[in-house]
Amino acid sequence: MKISCTLNGTRIELSVPADRRVVDLLREDLGLTGTKESCGAGDCGACTILVDGESRLSCLMLAAQLEGREITTVEGLAESESVHVVQRAFAEQGAVQCGFCTPGMLLAATDLLHRNPRPSRGQIREALTGNLCRCTGYQKIVDAVDKAARLVSGDES
Amino acid sequence: MTPEGTCNSMSSESDTEAQGELITRPDLFPRNVLAIGDAAPRADAYEKATGQTKFAADYYAEDMVWAGVKRAGIPHARVAKIDTSQAEGIPGVMCVLTHRDVSGTNRQGVIRRDQPVLVDDKIRHCGDAVALVVAETRDALRKALDRITLDCPLLTPVLDAEEALEESAALVHEDNPNGNVLLKGELQTGSGDAAEQECEILVEGCFETQRQEHAYLETEAGWAQVKDDGRLEIVCSTQTPFRDRMEVADALGLEPTRVRIVVPYVGGAFGGKDGITVQSLLGLAALKSGGRPVKMWWGREESFSAGAKRHPARMYYRLGSDRSGRLHYLNVRLYLDTGPYDHLGGVVMTLGLEHAGGPYRIPNAVLKAWCVYTNNPLSGAFRGFGVTQVTAAMEQMMDLLAAKLGMDPLELRFKNAVRQGDRNCVGKTLVSSTGLTKCLEALSRMSTGKERDAWKAAAPFFKRRGVGFAALMHASGYGPVVPDFANAKVELTVRGKIRIYSGVVDMGQGNAATNVQIAAAILGQTADMFELIQPDTDRTLASGSASASRCTYTFGNALIGAAEILKNRLVQRAADLMMARKEDIALIPGGIRNLGSGRVISFSQLADFLNEDERVAVHYFRAPVAPDEIGAAPDLKLHGLPHTLFSYGAHAAWIEVDELTGELEVKKYLAVSDCGNILNPQIYEQQIQGAIAQGLGYAVSEDLLVEGGKVLNPDFFTYLIPTSADVPEIVSVPVKMYEITGPFGLKGVGEIATNGPLPALANALADACGIRIFRSPLTPERVLDALNTRNREDLE
Amino acid sequence: MSDVHLPRHLKDVWPLLLNDPRAAVYAGGTDLLAKVRSADARPRSLVCLERVEELKGVRDDGEEVYIGAGTALEHVLHNPIIEKQFPVLVQAIRVLASPAVRHMGTIGGNIVTASPAGDTLPPLHVLDADVVVRSAKETRRASLASFIRGPGKVDLGSGEILAAVVVKKTAGFNIHHYEKVGKRKAQACAVASMAAIVDVSEDRVIRRARFAWGSVGPTVIVVPEVERAVLGRTLSMETLREAACIAESAVSPIDDLRASASYRRRLAGALLLRLCALQANNPSQEH
Repeated sequence: MKISCTLNGTRIELSVPADRRVVDLLREDLGLTGTKESCGAGDCGACTILVDGESRLSCLMLAAQLEGREITTVEGLAESESVHVVQRAFAEQGAVQCGFCTPGMLLAATDLLHRNPRPSRGQIREALTGNLCRCTGYQKIVDAVDKAARLVSGDES
Repeated sequence: MTPEGTCNSMSSESDTEAQGELITRPDLFPRNVLAIGDAAPRADAYEKATGQTKFAADYYAEDMVWAGVKRAGIPHARVAKIDTSQAEGIPGVMCVLTHRDVSGTNRQGVIRRDQPVLVDDKIRHCGDAVALVVAETRDALRKALDRITLDCPLLTPVLDAEEALEESAALVHEDNPNGNVLLKGELQTGSGDAAEQECEILVEGCFETQRQEHAYLETEAGWAQVKDDGRLEIVCSTQTPFRDRMEVADALGLEPTRVRIVVPYVGGAFGGKDGITVQSLLGLAALKSGGRPVKMWWGREESFSAGAKRHPARMYYRLGSDRSGRLHYLNVRLYLDTGPYDHLGGVVMTLGLEHAGGPYRIPNAVLKAWCVYTNNPLSGAFRGFGVTQVTAAMEQMMDLLAAKLGMDPLELRFKNAVRQGDRNCVGKTLVSSTGLTKCLEALSRMSTGKERDAWKAAAPFFKRRGVGFAALMHASGYGPVVPDFANAKVELTVRGKIRIYSGVVDMGQGNAATNVQIAAAILGQTADMFELIQPDTDRTLASGSASASRCTYTFGNALIGAAEILKNRLVQRAADLMMARKEDIALIPGGIRNLGSGRVISFSQLADFLNEDERVAVHYFRAPVAPDEIGAAPDLKLHGLPHTLFSYGAHAAWIEVDELTGELEVKKYLAVSDCGNILNPQIYEQQIQGAIAQGLGYAVSEDLLVEGGKVLNPDFFTYLIPTSADVPEIVSVPVKMYEITGPFGLKGVGEIATNGPLPALANALADACGIRIFRSPLTPERVLDALNTRNREDLE
Repeated sequence: MSDVHLPRHLKDVWPLLLNDPRAAVYAGGTDLLAKVRSADARPRSLVCLERVEELKGVRDDGEEVYIGAGTALEHVLHNPIIEKQFPVLVQAIRVLASPAVRHMGTIGGNIVTASPAGDTLPPLHVLDADVVVRSAKETRRASLASFIRGPGKVDLGSGEILAAVVVKKTAGFNIHHYEKVGKRKAQACAVASMAAIVDVSEDRVIRRARFAWGSVGPTVIVVPEVERAVLGRTLSMETLREAACIAESAVSPIDDLRASASYRRRLAGALLLRLCALQANNPSQEH
């Protein structure tokens, strides 16, 4: 099947089996291994990507569903040379330990901040419940998302 | 990265120079020289946050093939017929291997080598590896695995640790000298059981703790290839590359020098990758794949079923004191279900035995432990390592005793808490820093009194509130016999960077970053000056496992030595180059300044001047051990008894219990810790918070259910680890301590906090509702049952 | 390899279903694709409804609200009409899975999956919802209660899809409550759940009440006897304890991995008691 979509800001044409899982397409066909697979069943959020700006689980999406969509993976979160404010906050606040959940977590956080630019800590926790982390205990992840929100909204510089 | 169908090439050899181990985005790091005590962002943070880090699971190649394991699916059987004929016929299948294809011993294990690469005589658990398929695609692999059939006569499975000790029980290993006992431990102090009748107060209890799953986000994975020169290269997610190499070589019948193991950043391990998982299987597949790279990546269900778990434990305790609460007598029987293979089970048992009495002075102790073979899923190393289980029991016994004495639980702990110079309950004199009482003091200040009472009284409708405590102690290192050593190597590269050859795997605990911080502090450099080589048996030096809370202590001490040697050498040779005196030379970020003349040269200029041997510095460190003779049998000593360095802690949990549903919510959690001096407060907190989260899961929601030897809930939908909504805000307070034998005063922090939540919550539950549940996890159903029983008893 | 069809209009769906009656139909894929993890086991033909605009959207039709079956759960959650009219549904969707799953999963999917633990189902039952089923030839309407036949079983014939769920506005109810008991605080399959809407007077007399329980039977359980028992009585522990006894006898839970039947039975009653802790018009105050 031929699929046209926009990936990390670039229009691309793909020729792939229609039922190829998006997580496999990203990792194996396109070499974008930033998106991870940890359970393959929609329970952990490690495979989270953005589709038209909304978070989705790429292990539960088939290639055909990409047609005409704008996809963002962790590799495309930042523009050109900079890092995205959320990535920077994660790095500075100590929200990254083993790093395997991090890409999915970043995209879930980005989705949250689109929908709710100044979430409370409780709202941040609620929004990230679909992304499992086994290393951090979540606290510094919440700190990071909180910090990113403050920076973006101008509460802090 | 172009999206046009490009694949990554797999490269692991000399083009690592080009592979960019330089710290990612050095421009975003603080400009100042890193100092000890800085909460500096981790060196690997940006690399991981931009998705650039390649984990073992992230490698793909054009000509790559896939390997996968046929698992037994039955708990106990004699191996008779493994029919691979149908599988071999599937298009895309390269080969289907069985034990006949293994040329070496076909046995793996750290202490006792009893685990086959592929089963040959018996099947001993449902997750046993029966056959190995190598195929062109994952689809072909799956189809082939489905077509392999077993015709193996079933044997009666052994499914309970205590039952396995009976005369009539079936034997898991017929060649084991002691029936189904892998290891038995016994230790006695003082007058033993004779002291029981001297006690004025006695309490007893039987505690059962469950199997816990590591649930690292990166499942077991790796790839392997036989290179043109005949060497076998394995890139995999493991905590123990140097030990693995020896095991793989032995099992497959290869010269150890022929095997290379490379470990990228690991996506979580917590002990579950402490030992063989994919390594020998990958090696075997690579030997049969005609030189093509082979990849293996366990699915989540496979990881649940085949990987090691935390030992479930049954613990019988009797604790006695005088009327004033001074502890006098302890009797413990500890039964650990170790599953089918050694896999460090004896070491877990021994550490549990050592910590069975907690951080208290108890002059008369009778301690017995059995590590027992069964046909249940494999048990092995898991953060906490036996101490988690016994702490759950002992800390609840302390509260039971306090209640019987009519004494405040913290007061009872203060009264008996060990101090430096005391002997602990196995008779070991505590010669290293012992900050328990400091922890208890800080805890007490922050969690008792009017504020606590007011908080409890303000419980909303249908809720009950309580506060519970746990005092902690956790040893680091390997004990008196197995050497706990590390070799650090640092290098001034030709391009003028400082390269650190990390000997110990970074599985998320941040030791790679800590290494940078240590070297930076000694060499006076900023973060952007460093390159990191992750563990690689060809390039880095043997430095022991990433386990036992010893990574930074041991490797850090070795690294300090290496960095000092390099520093002195660079100073001396710069002095030679500039025809100055050593005393005039200082290291500044990026180079050297002659303080006399003001002349500066860069490191790359200095490197031009130096021979390769001069640019490298190596230093070896071996951790001190306990010389105490406590009467431990030789095999217990081998397995680690006693240790000499301990970290301490005191935890408090504020909980709210829902009387309608039994749900337990932790509103606040306080962890006070003595882990020595803190090199990086951010990394320290990461460890404490993460360990507590795992401990909380262990306390309330995680339970790997096994029936007939089979895992019933092998996925994240039915095995529930804490989400962001399940972990409260954690307050972490380090007490000011300095361990003089540690690198810059540090002690181990990796494991201890895991041990606090279960007993703290169980004690809080008793405080809130007057109920105690002797089995973990403390599920809502168990809590409601206990509440209802108590209500009925109250009415009667 | 499976065919995957992505029709843009409802009229394009019918030929696909006709062509392959065994085609697996999905909208978000969070249920279907999770069940079907390996390429082997995938149906030969998959029909994905996520692009069919006619199946999306929330429409205020005066007395009732029409919710397209293909509306993503997250969009239902944040729709101003739903927020205003059906707080009990909002509460349930809030605790359903996670944002990513809710971006993909649809309200229609939650209904058609018909899990005994489906979070939207108890609220839709107390809201007396109907379903709209369409095929090439006709459109029919049925009660949600009759549409769900058993665990995983709905009354959809060959060539039929669920087009919408229609919810009647509930003027005058001032307690709207959904509670789900799980084994952790989020992303947990309900061990037991209850939706309730109650109309209490100023002096706490129950004028109307509707309850529905999830995860305590093969499908959602509604117990008219409970509703009769509380009518005209004060919202008090005494009233609710009696009602709880009736509820406990009426539900038919099972033992499974997550919980025992007896625990679920106790929860069915206990969840009623929670209503005592709620204030009228402040349904989220307690939980």
